[in-house]
Amino acid sequence: MIRRTTIKTFSAAAILTMAGAFSAQAAVNGPVNYIIPFGPGGESDISARFQQPFFKSMFGQDLVVSYQPGGGGAVGWASLNGKKGDGQTIMGVNLPHIIIKPAQKNVGFKTDDLNTFYMFHFTPDALVVKADSPYKSLQDFIDAAKAKPGQMTLSGSGKASANHLAQIKFDKMASIKTTYVPFKGTGAAVAAMLGSQVKAEWGYSTVGAKQGAAVRMLAVAMEERHPLFPNVPTFKELGYDMVGGAYRGIALPKSASAATTKMWSEMIGEINRDPAFVKKMLGGGFAMLDVDAAGMASFMKARSVEYLKDAREAGLIK
Amino acid sequence: MNQDSSYNNHKKSIEGSNFGSLIVSIFFILAGFLTLYDTQSYTDADSSVFPQAAAILLILCASVSTIQNLIRPMADEGFGRGSWWRRLLLVTTMLLTCFAMPYIGFLLAAAISFVGGMIAAMHDRWSLKSLIVYLGSGALIMVVFYILFRYVLYVPLP
Amino acid sequence: MDINNFLAALTLTNIALALFGVVAGTIIGSIPGLTATMAVAVLVPITFSMEPASALILLGAIYTGAIYGGAYAAILLNTPGTPSAIATTFDGYPMAKRGDGDLAVALACFASVFGGLVGAMALLFLAPPLSEVALAFGPGEYFWLSIFGLSLIAALSNGNLMKGLAGGAFGLILSTVGVAEISADIRLTFGSQTLISGFGVVGALIGLYCIPVLIDLVAVPDRHLKIEDDVKSVRIGEAASIAMKSKVNLIRSSIIGTLVGILPGAGGSVAGLVAYSEAKRNASPDQKFGEGEPDGIIATESANNATVGGGFIPTLVLGIPGTPPDAVILGALLVQGVRTGPTLFQSGSDSIAYTFIYGLLIATILMLPVGLLIGRYAYKSIVTIPKAVLVPTVGFMTIIGTFAIHNSISDVGIMIGLGIFGWIVGRFGFSASPIVLGLILGPIAEQGFVQSWIIGSATNDLIGMFFGRPISQAIVAFTLLSLFYPLWVGRRQRAMK
Repeated sequence: MIRRTTIKTFSAAAILTMAGAFSAQAAVNGPVNYIIPFGPGGESDISARFQQPFFKSMFGQDLVVSYQPGGGGAVGWASLNGKKGDGQTIMGVNLPHIIIKPAQKNVGFKTDDLNTFYMFHFTPDALVVKADSPYKSLQDFIDAAKAKPGQMTLSGSGKASANHLAQIKFDKMASIKTTYVPFKGTGAAVAAMLGSQVKAEWGYSTVGAKQGAAVRMLAVAMEERHPLFPNVPTFKELGYDMVGGAYRGIALPKSASAATTKMWSEMIGEINRDPAFVKKMLGGGFAMLDVDAAGMASFMKARSVEYLKDAREAGLIK
Repeated sequence: MNQDSSYNNHKKSIEGSNFGSLIVSIFFILAGFLTLYDTQSYTDADSSVFPQAAAILLILCASVSTIQNLIRPMADEGFGRGSWWRRLLLVTTMLLTCFAMPYIGFLLAAAISFVGGMIAAMHDRWSLKSLIVYLGSGALIMVVFYILFRYVLYVPLP
Repeated sequence: MDINNFLAALTLTNIALALFGVVAGTIIGSIPGLTATMAVAVLVPITFSMEPASALILLGAIYTGAIYGGAYAAILLNTPGTPSAIATTFDGYPMAKRGDGDLAVALACFASVFGGLVGAMALLFLAPPLSEVALAFGPGEYFWLSIFGLSLIAALSNGNLMKGLAGGAFGLILSTVGVAEISADIRLTFGSQTLISGFGVVGALIGLYCIPVLIDLVAVPDRHLKIEDDVKSVRIGEAASIAMKSKVNLIRSSIIGTLVGILPGAGGSVAGLVAYSEAKRNASPDQKFGEGEPDGIIATESANNATVGGGFIPTLVLGIPGTPPDAVILGALLVQGVRTGPTLFQSGSDSIAYTFIYGLLIATILMLPVGLLIGRYAYKSIVTIPKAVLVPTVGFMTIIGTFAIHNSISDVGIMIGLGIFGWIVGRFGFSASPIVLGLILGPIAEQGFVQSWIIGSATNDLIGMFFGRPISQAIVAFTLLSLFYPLWVGRRQRAMK
């Protein structure tokens, strides 16, 4: 008898505690400030805009997108921990940027400063040329690069960015020497390629989606071919073990509580599972990814090791 | 881009403006050298080319302008007439607003510069009626825009 | 291009949206600190529930209204409301100071509408070929274009050549402060966290233009602007006749604006500058540019509104935004699933692009009555408001506007600091415009130079990269022309005396 009462009391206590925990759980109160640390129109902006309507319909609040460009994202990330950690302010984060930049010099933040709680997509690296370019396949490109070392000019967004790292990595794999010309943003890099200012571009699959028939993607850095581009081979199937690109996710200020972080992780994860959302993302040339708050630490560690190694070998960092 | 030519030409002001011009030009020359010094610490060769070129241009032009000024001082430069305390009041209250904003919130801080600016700009005599009207309309403007920015445009004003 | 698209643009909803957009845009653009980009970005979520064409019409109307609205502050307060209106201060403010402010505002309206129409026409008929022109501009061309811009600063400095160049060079240096885009260095921050974001154009604009004006306004008891006893609306007729007489200027400036608009990254400020300098070069001897010459306003305002239509060309044809508001609009389009590219321009009765362009044309036409009306009230209020309310209100607007750019208080502090600096150096012959223009042109010049250098070195063709390309050669020729033409004319005039 005593045992049953004890059990009942314990259960009641347990339920009450859970209820208490539930009511103490974080909730989104009012519109959320979603800061993109870049200018408008880029991949970070577009994926955020995709999320906006789904967030509204699933959780009833507005995601207000604002921009804080500067230093290739550094300005925004350096300012994140100065914001309130009540869950009303979130910021987009990008890999490899947040790993490479602090390793290069004092940019105002360290990778661990950012409380990244979800990585929800990546844009696979892609080697893009103009539709009327003489390079019809990856092999054409490699042959041309081998014939005239250093004269193959490629545009890309920024220095020590995903595009730049892709160029370095592939140059090593294919034993060629190409010249990387940094531009401010993907738009400018694409314009340079389309205007034949450079011979090719290290971009992403999203470039192919946006430009359509005006460009030809020679290869994408994915495990399997992208559903939107069934005719574009992967680097892997052509013999080059290159899978990756720019990963994008969202972070909270470090002062955010564990409950808030978990809540946001679950909310973004839920959006990521929505088939309509996935369809929109794939249709834009993005590739999906799901790394939640729990799995973040090991994911970041693995990527850090990889990126820092590549960057060190390329001489980008000491 | 023309100078406002409604200032007096006193001999004193020519000398005064000469001195001031000199200081300003020297400031620019120093700024150029400072930039050159800073470029020594860049790791990437690409990032120093442009600032160095601009700094050299700045030093050259500012130097020539200094020499020009010494040879042929411009009479219509200088701080001219105009009350200093009002200018200081305006600027100090604006700066005060800036520093106080994180502590007392946007509206109160902005009120500081608003009142400061009002007092600085008010040249006529104060009357009770004008005081009420000005303060009232000022408060109205501030509140309306605060609401607009905070709640319609979602700008997180402190 | 058929009539169905035109009719689609004429629906009540779309016309209402165009009207609302123009009004809202004009008001937002006239407030220093609020830019067209901000206006467009804020209203994008509303467009998600709209038809793509209607959304575009609303955003386009706001954009074109804001570019026009920037002229109010430029003329009446010597502060460009948006960067596009920088060149409008050159003659706008002097005109206001001598009592012709209402004429200036009306002129700005006519010019803006004309320029906007030309830009929209170019978008309608010439988008695909003009986009090819945009692509032909490579790093070398951008570099020379920015050098051209800087030479214009020098040429416009009216005798203070060295000081103008020094100001421009200082602006160039200011533009390098912070994290470098092209490389990875941090420059000129001296360890300060606040400076790591560099000097934003809009904050610097407000600080360097507006604060000195306020400082001087409080210092003297005179009225800000002369009031005519009766603020007549007859000036609209006067403005119209002046505009008619300056047809050549109008057309030339609008074309310049359209062409500069199609270059991604150039923008309305560069367009206004180039158009102004060309108008000055082609002026008759009795015209005094820089002292309140109506042709100056006509040139700059038609050019900057032409960049609206022009900027949409690379945006819609290539998916590459021509100006920052275009980037936001592009994002909104992509969310709606609209694919940019030449296919967008294929005629079909439900062509989004064509419906939008007609809507933009309608919005631009609507800007004429709307703009004149708002302009008249804006002029009346600014002129009659007592200084004791005007000064603190404008000061307040600069604070709230600068804060709203990046939600940062330090931006406001930097703005005020720059303002004090601008006032001091302005007193000794270093005016704000060269510094701000240097700040705007700096990144374009630097990126163009470094990229050309890299490509030229890689292909062993450095000389060719910088001097061998036809468009570059043309720009260099124009630069030399604008630098030496005034000297040559001056010499000829002296010889004739």
